[in-house]
Amino acid sequence: MADNQKAVGVSVPRIEAREKVLGRSVYVDDLRREGMIWGKVVRSPHPRARIVHVDVTEARGLPGVVAVLTAADVPGDRYVGPLVKDQPILCSSSVRFEGDAVALVAATAEEVAETARDAVRVEYEILEPVLDPIAAMSPEAPQVQAGGNVASYSKLRRGDVEVGFRAADVIVEDSFSTQMIDHAYLEPEGAVAEVDAEGKVTIWVCSQYPHYDRQEVARVLGVSLARVRVIQTTTGGGFGGKFGSPLVSCYAALLAARTGRPAKVLYTREESLRTTVKRHPYRIHYKVGATRSGKLTAVEARFVGDTGAYLVVGRAVVGKSTSHGAGPYEVPHVKMDGYAVYTNKAPAGAMRGYGVPQVAVAYESLLDELARKLNLDPIEFRLKNVLREGSQTATGQTLLHSVGVAETLERAADARREMTPHLKTGKPYLKRGIGVGVSWHGIGAARSPSQATAYVNLCGDGSATVLCGSVDIGQGSNTLFSQIAAEELGVPLDQISVVTGDTLTTPDCEATTATRVTYLSGNAVRLAAEKAKGTALELAAKHFGCLPEHLILARGKVQVPDAALEISLTDLFKKHAVQQISALGVFSPDCTPLDPETGQGSPHATYGFGTHVALVEVDQETGAVRLVDYAAFNDVGKAINPQAVEGQIEGAVAMGTGYALSEGMIFDRGKILNPSFATYLLLTAADLPPVRVGLVEAPEPTGPYGAKGVGEPSMNPVAAAVINAIYDAVGVRIRELPAVPETVFAALKTRQPLPADR
Amino acid sequence: MSISLCVIVNGNEHHLDVAPHHTLLDALREELGLTGTKRGCEVGDCGACTVLLNGKAVNSCLVLAAETEGAEVVTIEGVAGREGLHPLQEAFIREGAVQCGFCTPGMILSALALLRENPRPSDAEVRQALSGNLCRCTGYAKIVQAVLDASDASLVPGFGRPEGLRPSR
Ligand code: FES
Ligand code: FES
Repeated sequence: MADNQKAVGVSVPRIEAREKVLGRSVYVDDLRREGMIWGKVVRSPHPRARIVHVDVTEARGLPGVVAVLTAADVPGDRYVGPLVKDQPILCSSSVRFEGDAVALVAATAEEVAETARDAVRVEYEILEPVLDPIAAMSPEAPQVQAGGNVASYSKLRRGDVEVGFRAADVIVEDSFSTQMIDHAYLEPEGAVAEVDAEGKVTIWVCSQYPHYDRQEVARVLGVSLARVRVIQTTTGGGFGGKFGSPLVSCYAALLAARTGRPAKVLYTREESLRTTVKRHPYRIHYKVGATRSGKLTAVEARFVGDTGAYLVVGRAVVGKSTSHGAGPYEVPHVKMDGYAVYTNKAPAGAMRGYGVPQVAVAYESLLDELARKLNLDPIEFRLKNVLREGSQTATGQTLLHSVGVAETLERAADARREMTPHLKTGKPYLKRGIGVGVSWHGIGAARSPSQATAYVNLCGDGSATVLCGSVDIGQGSNTLFSQIAAEELGVPLDQISVVTGDTLTTPDCEATTATRVTYLSGNAVRLAAEKAKGTALELAAKHFGCLPEHLILARGKVQVPDAALEISLTDLFKKHAVQQISALGVFSPDCTPLDPETGQGSPHATYGFGTHVALVEVDQETGAVRLVDYAAFNDVGKAINPQAVEGQIEGAVAMGTGYALSEGMIFDRGKILNPSFATYLLLTAADLPPVRVGLVEAPEPTGPYGAKGVGEPSMNPVAAAVINAIYDAVGVRIRELPAVPETVFAALKTRQPLPADR
Repeated sequence: MSISLCVIVNGNEHHLDVAPHHTLLDALREELGLTGTKRGCEVGDCGACTVLLNGKAVNSCLVLAAETEGAEVVTIEGVAGREGLHPLQEAFIREGAVQCGFCTPGMILSALALLRENPRPSDAEVRQALSGNLCRCTGYAKIVQAVLDASDASLVPGFGRPEGLRPSR
């Protein structure tokens, strides 16, 4: 970018912030179309049942009702799913979880649609639900899906754990369980669909992957992809939940196609909490060994992820746990067995961290136990084992660059020192403790090939348009793209327009998931901009009769710095009859898939790392745990927008602390008891202390300006740090998340020797 | 059956006919097209629908429209003045307090109600005042900072973040 002016590495405000603070951003619920109808979904009240009969007569007869659809009315394929097509958009013969969709109604007003929904009579034969994932694995268990309840099995074999445990002086072993949580974005799911005079369908939807929604809508309607256009509306959070379940788009599309009228389907909060994808609850068993000198010798783990009624991305989530289950440590002998298992519960899907936060709680708890047994400081112990440049991961991948985890640990040690004076409470029943959590996250899906694509159109005045399929779901990627293009093209930020999230105009860039947007799509944007600039410089080189390398592009002019000559792009383009320069950037990370037998390979081109430190206070009389102070150190490669990166980390700390302490779907015989924010407890501003964020930048040579990503790496260590802090405070090991007061209080009662008073 | 009422929204008088069970949120969004007020739950749990009703921050999904006869309502659309953005809006932009933005209108109105009552709040007072407004993206850190920045407290040296807790980089 021009001389003193930089766009990368600067905390510029996000490009749409002004319209958001004015209340002018258009979210899906804000859309109104002439003649629009409202759709509502009839859902099963039973976790497992056979559908005997659906009677829609009464609903159809209500004034204002314009459509009542059942499975038989679906013109195309009835099943959707990103990995396997196992989820019926409307069930015809059986329902597999409380909330499974049975029929779809639409009316001229939302309230009438609600009445019609309740007037659809469904007769069920109630069946015993499959609820416990371990019991579900038995061949005698009733089958949730025809192919059996074990949906996937992923393993990792490195070295020989028998040898590793023989070499260990200390071995610790324990079981853990983690709960089902919801993404709980503030904006519930919704979509609006409209059919034009030619029969082409347009869908507006809050989504993390409009191109995937388009695929499913086209299949369900039985039309070609080119006849469906999906436009992402301003999206009020995603965290994985608005990818992998494009049902709401299909519902709106079906109603619009059937009635010829624009149709809107918007989930209520209750519907969102009860029926949309969740974080996989896990049952985990770990065994970890180390030598007296504090070197890890072996890690063995077995975990079962409860994927609910449908797979969604369960196989990949559990696969991520397997490849990440040894933590960011050098361990010579590793054995992992991971299963995704069907049960009659809401489907679990992608959620920030994929399968890593679950296993991080287990291995980080056990590393603390080992450190205690070995009489080593927890941070020192981890530093003896942590991955460094040149280390091999548990999948056998040698990391050559950008391994900043040791630095995050060192900075964490400083933060811990600063917190130590605050351990005293002055009240005997209030105990404080400090815990550390370390984690990592491979950038991008463990899938090869994977690709990101962007176009840059450079105009004669030096301004440019970026077109990219990766959507902004609130994390700020549109701003990031504009920063990258501005940096490459040498113009101020306001000279860049970013177009994302419209399948008609933007290339399919895969989903906004897997912490992939900065690294993959950021690279694609950078490559496209670089190429557009290169073409402009070549034209100018001809003009000046020099080499393009001797030229620079800034503020719409090509300059020959040595000769103090310049030509505007406008003149240059005119001379060569060029209207604009369009360039395509394509980026594919260098990975090799995991071997299915050994789990060995290089699944990710690069990894993000983090060490977090939590200071908690435990009220021994009630079991209540309060976060008092928190410091988060994440190696992000390079912070292209430091303020936005801090914002991601701060959000992750709140989400991760909620995971550790308060959140969780509560079930009674397969039915969710707490589908509201009054009973599903998100942390509020009053529950959280200010968070200190420290950015570590170990540059990734293949990343845009060295950047990697931060969305998930910042989430993964949080719960582990909080759980370890509880142990440090009161000497009880919480093995079952969340650490709600009842759980902590019960653990305190069975506590063996009291820790020395502080 | 519908109820006729007159309500002042963002300084303008509106005559509305509302159903007796319709909420202020319904009236603002459906009747007046003021969609800056968000619906996140419709049962008073999330704060996305916060507006000022006679100067007090309320969840508009919990107020019946019919109850607002003669009342003064301020929504996010009425926060900026002719001169431009309100200092709170400026601070939200500057501090990076906006991510997905869905909680932002409600947050700004809760903060506005706070600063009118207490122009120099502490960190803890801001957190308390915003505790009815959920945000899933930001962890509240930058929102709290933005409110402190926009308050009179920002004129006091060393304001805002508690000692020793400045973010380090
Ligand atoms: S929509 Fe009113 S509090 Fe949630
Ligand atoms: S910015 Fe997304 S909910 Fe607050």
